[in-house]
Amino acid sequence: MKKTKLGEFEELVLLSVAALQKEAYGVEIKRELEERLKEKLSVGSIQSALKRMEEKGFLTSEFGEATLKRGGKRKRIYTTTSYAHKVLAELKEIRAGLWDSIPTLTPELKII
Amino acid sequence: MSQSTDIRPPSWALCCLRYLLKEEYIEEIEGDMEELFFDQLEKGSSQRAKRIYVLEMIKLIRPSLLKNFTSSSTLNSYGMYKNYFKIAWRNLIKKKAYSAINIFGLGLGIACCFLIFMYVQDERSYDTYHEKGDRIYRLIHGSRIMEGPEKGDVNPNPFWVWGNAPVGPALSNHFPEIEKIVQFSGRSNVLLQYEDKIFQEDDVFCMDSTAFDVFSWKLLQGDPKTALVVPYSIILTEHTARKYFGDEDPLGKILKGEGGRVNDGDYTVTGVMEEVPSNSHFRFDALISMSSFKQSRAEVFGWWGYVDFYTYFVVNEQFNEAHFKSKISDFIARYHPEPEWGYTFDIEPLKDVYLRTKAERQPGETGSLANIYVFSIIGLFILVIAMINFMNLSTARSLERGKEVGIRKSVGAERKSLIFQFLGESIIIVFLSMLVAILIILVALPFMNNLTGKEFSLEPFINIQTILFGVVVMALIGLLAGSYPAFVLSGFKPVQVMKGIVKSTAGGVNLRKSLVVFQFSLSIALIAGTIIVYTQMNHLLDKDLGFDKERMLILDYNYDSEVNTKTEVLNTAMRTIPEVTSTAFTRSVPGSHFPNAGTEIQNATGEMEMIGQAIFQVGMDFVPHFDLELLAGRSYSRDFPSDSSSALIVNEAAAKQYGYANPVDIVGKKFSQWGREGEVIGVVKDFNFISLHRNIEPLTLPFSPYSSRYMCLKVKSENLAQTTKEVGAIWTKLIPHRPFLYSFLDDDFNTQYQSDFVFRKLFTTFACLAIFIACLGLLGLATYTAEQRTKEIGIRKVLGADVRSIVTLLSKDFVLLVLISMFIATPLSWYAMNEWLEGFAYRMEIQYWVFVFAGLIALSIAVFTISFQSIKSALLNPVNSLKNE
Repeated sequence: MKKTKLGEFEELVLLSVAALQKEAYGVEIKRELEERLKEKLSVGSIQSALKRMEEKGFLTSEFGEATLKRGGKRKRIYTTTSYAHKVLAELKEIRAGLWDSIPTLTPELKII
Repeated sequence: MSQSTDIRPPSWALCCLRYLLKEEYIEEIEGDMEELFFDQLEKGSSQRAKRIYVLEMIKLIRPSLLKNFTSSSTLNSYGMYKNYFKIAWRNLIKKKAYSAINIFGLGLGIACCFLIFMYVQDERSYDTYHEKGDRIYRLIHGSRIMEGPEKGDVNPNPFWVWGNAPVGPALSNHFPEIEKIVQFSGRSNVLLQYEDKIFQEDDVFCMDSTAFDVFSWKLLQGDPKTALVVPYSIILTEHTARKYFGDEDPLGKILKGEGGRVNDGDYTVTGVMEEVPSNSHFRFDALISMSSFKQSRAEVFGWWGYVDFYTYFVVNEQFNEAHFKSKISDFIARYHPEPEWGYTFDIEPLKDVYLRTKAERQPGETGSLANIYVFSIIGLFILVIAMINFMNLSTARSLERGKEVGIRKSVGAERKSLIFQFLGESIIIVFLSMLVAILIILVALPFMNNLTGKEFSLEPFINIQTILFGVVVMALIGLLAGSYPAFVLSGFKPVQVMKGIVKSTAGGVNLRKSLVVFQFSLSIALIAGTIIVYTQMNHLLDKDLGFDKERMLILDYNYDSEVNTKTEVLNTAMRTIPEVTSTAFTRSVPGSHFPNAGTEIQNATGEMEMIGQAIFQVGMDFVPHFDLELLAGRSYSRDFPSDSSSALIVNEAAAKQYGYANPVDIVGKKFSQWGREGEVIGVVKDFNFISLHRNIEPLTLPFSPYSSRYMCLKVKSENLAQTTKEVGAIWTKLIPHRPFLYSFLDDDFNTQYQSDFVFRKLFTTFACLAIFIACLGLLGLATYTAEQRTKEIGIRKVLGADVRSIVTLLSKDFVLLVLISMFIATPLSWYAMNEWLEGFAYRMEIQYWVFVFAGLIALSIAVFTISFQSIKSALLNPVNSLKNE
């Protein structure tokens, strides 16, 4: 777990890729996240996160079809690797564990 | 969608994107960007879409998406550069002596060059601070010959800056292109008093109220428009104001003033100004309003023949110098009341007045363009000598680097990269020299200030331009100095070099030799120059001037009328001091300026003839006091009471001027001068009453006891300070209202050679440095040669050579080179110094021994330098030099 180094934003992108399945390419991921996060994201931030995660082995990618709107350029479709699924599951588990321990903590926090 | 064919994302942004991003990402990201762009287009305006596109493009600039510029193009050679630096550094460390000579010599050269550059810049910066500087002109007055064969010739006498007053108002009436005229009087001396503080101010001008419209001097207090309007207004410079008022506010204070061109009175301080910048062709400590002068002597402002004013003016933008000059003669014909005087004038732009003026009687000091050239040349010489050292040592050592070049080449170095390496190395050395140079400049600056009497500071040179210039110069020197080794070394054939055959350096040896010859020619020329400058200056100082200037105490009382009535009392009182052997009064002392005026004297044909010459008004005992030799007639005497009104003494040159070859003949002839008439009673032998730059000119010495300004005392005393004190005590007792101001005549007389002395000092200093740098190089070269021949020397010694023959062997080549240099340098320096000596009326003749002597000095320095190394090698035990193979 220690060496995964998955940032918060990266995790969101990774989850969107997993959710979008066959539609997971740059602009679509951006739209998905913008809608969910309710804030504007830049192409640069999405792209650099994708590239980083590809390098770390969370993602693989291949060229998809070209559309007219893209001026004949092909999309690059990203797919999550099994390693990514494992890491995401682990993260979810850790979070769930932490959430479980919250109710006992909250009143004390409020006192502070 | 229909729009998509027309509107495209901004193409420049697209280009950026393609250029910046990693190759493999371009298609994908470009596509994404385009998709978003068209989405935006559907939603809103094309402007907005474009803007968002550009913004997104900028946001794409992140390390993970960008091309790896640093690594992709230079990663391969980075290690090579590191290696170059390492090798360069190791070479510097390995041969410490060479490196030190190179770096220090070059540093010294650059420093000298920069100091000279500063001096030259300072000389050239004179009067450049005036905002309207390029539109300021001044008048120079001349005369035209009206009779004789050269009729109409302008300027039989030199032009004078000093001239009449009425021309000013006439000019501004006549020429609409003249915006403002400012006139000021000659330099005057005023005794100023505030409470108990009395000082004589020697640098005061009476100045028109328009001064601040023309010149850009900064008034700290007071109104520049009105400060010089009212009579008896005075503007003081900051320094002067502090002298009288300390920390008090000077504005509105009253200063009691005496002497000068204005009647005695109370001056009101109407302004305080910043010191006049040191790069001004005239400077002053105080300005008095011209109206004060006008009030005291209104009539002189209308006299075209009264010379006491400087005229400067600002012209408007449309001014055409040539056109203006063409109208001068019409102007004079219209305004000048006495056309037969042949008066004329010319104009000079302000930028030329310090270095290029053709006129005399300047309001202040002038510089010398010739000196600037001389120094620039010396500066260049020094730099060239230092660079030659560098080239020589590098070429000499090229053999050692031969193997390195061979290996580099066989490993695959291109010639280009080798050239680059060697040039880079030399630039590194130049860079180090630059650092040394900066240190030297910092240390030398105070000395330089001392030497030239100017205030140099580095501040104006610390700006981006100078730094850029420095970098460019550095690169240039590095390229020049490193070019030979770079191109020759890189041309070595690896196979031959590795085999050890490097025969191709014959060219290098010849080049080195010719460079040494060049270097030493320059050095010898400089040595000869120094000797000549020195001898000429001594010649000036020791020349018999025709009068006694030693131990002559001069007391200045600035024409004080009360003192002039007490001359006999002062004479008697001063002569009671046993050390004072003689006293006299005079209006002027030799070495200062004299008024010129026309004098009528009966010429050889018996007619009265009017000729102009200098007038030296003297007191009773002047002739015997100064030990002037009487050639004919008698001196002024108390036995002839009429001497004060009807007698005149002239010098030999004046007698000749009126056509008397034998001075005896002029005695008894009638004269008329400045309203006096009478007879010439004596002729004195010519004496140098002005600088030895000039010939002795005709002179008349009228006796005018009430026009005196100085009292001269001849002092024969061992303890001058003590005697001066005694004189001072008597002075203060008899003339309590005037401060005791004294000086010594020989000092005063020599001040006119001030610029010559500065020239001599600078010349000598830089010449010595040049020689020193040349010798540094020679030392390096000699050391190297000796090292190269260690084995040869060892074998020779084994075979029985003695120390002497080995020293001869090692020195022979260099001595020959120095001898050749002597022959090259002699004619060049003879020509150059001859030109310089043209500037003196009393010049030494250049003798051949100067060059022999200069050559010998160079030779002995060279031999000394070489012998140091050659004796060392000759004494070396051959066993040591031969054992390690």
